[in-house]
Amino acid sequence: MKIDCEAIKSSLGAWLDGELSHPEAEQIRVHVQECPACFGEKEQLERLQASLKGALEARASRLAFEPFWDGVHRRILEKSPWRERLWDWVRPAIYPQRLAWAIPVVIVFLLGIISLEQFFPGWRWGSSRSNATTVDSIDGHGLNVAVFRESKTKTTVIWLFENQEDEDESSGESAPTDSSF
Amino acid sequence: MELSDWELVQRCQEGEVAAFQELVARYHRKVFMVVLGILNHREDAMDVTQETFFRAYRNIKGFKGGSAFYTWLYRIAVNLSIDFQRRQKRAPVEFKETMDDLIDKGEGTELANHPFTDLQSKELGERLLAAIDELTPDHKAVIVMRAIEGLSYRDIGHILGCSEGTVMSRLHYARKKLQEKLGPYL
Amino acid sequence: MNLLENPLRLTLLFSLWLLLLSGSIDAAEKGQQGVQLNIGTILASNESDDFDAKLSKMNNQLEVIKYSSYRLIKEESQKAPWNGNAAFEIPGGRTLTVIPQEYRNNRLSLKVRLQEGEKPLLDTTVRIRNRGNFLLGGPPHEGGVLILSISATTQ
Repeated sequence: MKIDCEAIKSSLGAWLDGELSHPEAEQIRVHVQECPACFGEKEQLERLQASLKGALEARASRLAFEPFWDGVHRRILEKSPWRERLWDWVRPAIYPQRLAWAIPVVIVFLLGIISLEQFFPGWRWGSSRSNATTVDSIDGHGLNVAVFRESKTKTTVIWLFENQEDEDESSGESAPTDSSF
Repeated sequence: MELSDWELVQRCQEGEVAAFQELVARYHRKVFMVVLGILNHREDAMDVTQETFFRAYRNIKGFKGGSAFYTWLYRIAVNLSIDFQRRQKRAPVEFKETMDDLIDKGEGTELANHPFTDLQSKELGERLLAAIDELTPDHKAVIVMRAIEGLSYRDIGHILGCSEGTVMSRLHYARKKLQEKLGPYL
Repeated sequence: MNLLENPLRLTLLFSLWLLLLSGSIDAAEKGQQGVQLNIGTILASNESDDFDAKLSKMNNQLEVIKYSSYRLIKEESQKAPWNGNAAFEIPGGRTLTVIPQEYRNNRLSLKVRLQEGEKPLLDTTVRIRNRGNFLLGGPPHEGGVLILSISATTQ
């Protein structure tokens, strides 16, 4: 079966890095031996890798330890600004790493939800968002009054009936003062 | 008998600075190479590498041994390098100048003896580092770590916080870009 | 780092959060400097089938009242301090007086009086949801009846 060189080339890097499974690696090894183009590609990659390593090693080779350590040690000895030390102290508490964190996080979350209304007045969970109004007291001063609630939005409606027979003020009857509905 | 990294870390956690010094001695050059590969600027790389070890020292008590010490160290180094690069856009220093400066100052004795200091290799290295500098920080990090350390894709993924598949695709992309730029020289 | 290994840190952060929370609650309560009252005066009648487009948001609320036509006559807003008066002119020589009394549990307590000239027609004390409204209707006007939409928002 003719193996597509493009497919081989795309896996050459992983093969050289030793990251392929044995069957895949073997397939590529055999192909590379037989295919000049892929063999050239493999050599190019190897040179790239080696050149990069060599270039960086050359630069790093003059890195003397003593002056380097002096620089690190000086940083250790110098006091960090109080803000950095405070942040270092606080940071592990903010970045959770263990499941045990779930407890305080949940508590804080719940408290946050409860306090949400302070920042978004009028925002409420579920049924508390209805528009229902409580009528604590009502006095129609002799007129009939009805209180009812619209079912969809739960809006309270107070209705005043202008009772024409009730023009006689001496009747002395007043609409009942009801406690809250 | 040489102490393991973990034994040294435990001593550091108890406050023994000498143990930390030993860890620095073991890894300073390797970390420097990774940082230099990303930043392509010697002074900046020195600064960031020292900062890496300083941060490691400051947070050593938080290291619980869940990963290898060097993985943890490289993670600090790569994050600092990427942050540094994002904050400070700097034109890459010509590799050639730096090399000539070193040799002129007589500090390049080690370099003169280094197998990589013949002219052709020097030129390729120059071009290679310049080409790498054009990659994104994430691509630079994978190609440098793979080249220097021969770290597995799994380890590189742990360091960068990505999957092995992502490491593989970033490496493939980075190598392809470098081949395109440097084809005639390779 | 496992925070449970450092209860002092947890306690300190938690206390700090509670302090901020109580401060914000306190600030929120004190920050209520009064109430914004909005009164919509609507004429409802059976003389036509017209529904004023400006009342579209109140469609559901007005459905229960069973008139065929609704027209917004006027809208008026006033700010009233706590326990202070806000008086609104209502067609037909009437006056609506609203006194915001208190705000508790997201409910505004309002004392409301409707009078015709000097004669009181209705006195009521209601507790409405902040930014909510209720309807007060019935006074006759121009062949129909007036419906007042009374809403309030804390400031």
